Amino acid sequence: MGELWRLIGIDSHDAYTNMAIDEAILRTRAAGKVPNTIRFYRWRPSAVSIGFFQSIEEEVDVESCAELGVDIVRRLTGGGAVYHDSDGELTYSLVVDAENPKVPTDFLDSYRVLCDGIVRGLRRLGLDARFHPVNDVIAGGRKISGNAQTRRFGAVLQHGTVLLRSDLSKMFRVLRVSDEKLRDKMISAAQERVTTIEKELGRAVGFEEVSGALRRGFEEALGIELEEGALSDEERSLAMELREKYSSREWIYMR
Amino acid sequence: MVVKRGEHKVQGGKLIRVLLEEDRGRVARIRITGDFFLHPEEAIFEVERALEGAELAEGPLLERIKEVYRSAGAFSIGAGPEDFVKAILGAKAWSPVRSGPP
Repeated sequence: MGELWRLIGIDSHDAYTNMAIDEAILRTRAAGKVPNTIRFYRWRPSAVSIGFFQSIEEEVDVESCAELGVDIVRRLTGGGAVYHDSDGELTYSLVVDAENPKVPTDFLDSYRVLCDGIVRGLRRLGLDARFHPVNDVIAGGRKISGNAQTRRFGAVLQHGTVLLRSDLSKMFRVLRVSDEKLRDKMISAAQERVTTIEKELGRAVGFEEVSGALRRGFEEALGIELEEGALSDEERSLAMELREKYSSREWIYMR
Repeated sequence: MVVKRGEHKVQGGKLIRVLLEEDRGRVARIRITGDFFLHPEEAIFEVERALEGAELAEGPLLERIKEVYRSAGAFSIGAGPEDFVKAILGAKAWSPVRSGPP
């Protein structure tokens, strides 16, 4: 029997709450008050998240987001802009104490170890998935999952996406393209570069089916046992506080 | 004072963008954005502060960035100090997007 970790979700929240919950778990885990945790979640409404170092005006079409009712949030983690479709994408977050021997100190190694949960989960579903350094998982040679990590306060947070199905035309309406004339070209280029579980399997999949497979994938990859749980009261109230930060103009338009 | 923009595409795909306020061949203010990873994340603010007043030349820019990396114990993925310098020098060579009084 492996180490016991907590499993949360699938839950659905708006973008600010989702990012606030991830940070609340990170801080509370770092303080030693909750177990290592894996959470599965969706974004309701759909949202764009941008990396810690990115500029909103450079990456996001703010007007289109407003028209489509798509939230915009800045992540605690670096990396690129992501469109999180309510009905097409499942996100996970993983929080573990930084001292845990399962997680290599080296960032590049730790991406490989933690992403192995995604790789194994997708393989369970029948996909030809593999890790693609530095922080992607590919299936049939095309990207299906992007991942980002931060280490703060003495704990590691990695969160990442898994695409069930995609709406690339919507994605390219909310994300900025360098040149309007290139929009169609970029959509077809993305179609070449990105894939989804449904495309790979040629059938419809549900969120529960995918999270169930990923759960087993993480258990196998990390040698852990996931036990269903919930946020603690402290995490909940911290998340409420942190939501103020994530939904503030100062944070969103920080860069 | 002149505001300039620069970009540098790193091999492997990361894109660094620079917004530079230049004052007589030196950095007045700078903002570095992009889809890279830098740990600890807050080191980016130190990098930007440390570049203020720096001469817009490869050696001095690189030295100041590396000094922040050393003092903050910083580590980056997808783009390093050399890439930031390339983006900054790209901005230096760019045509101004806005001019204002000094």
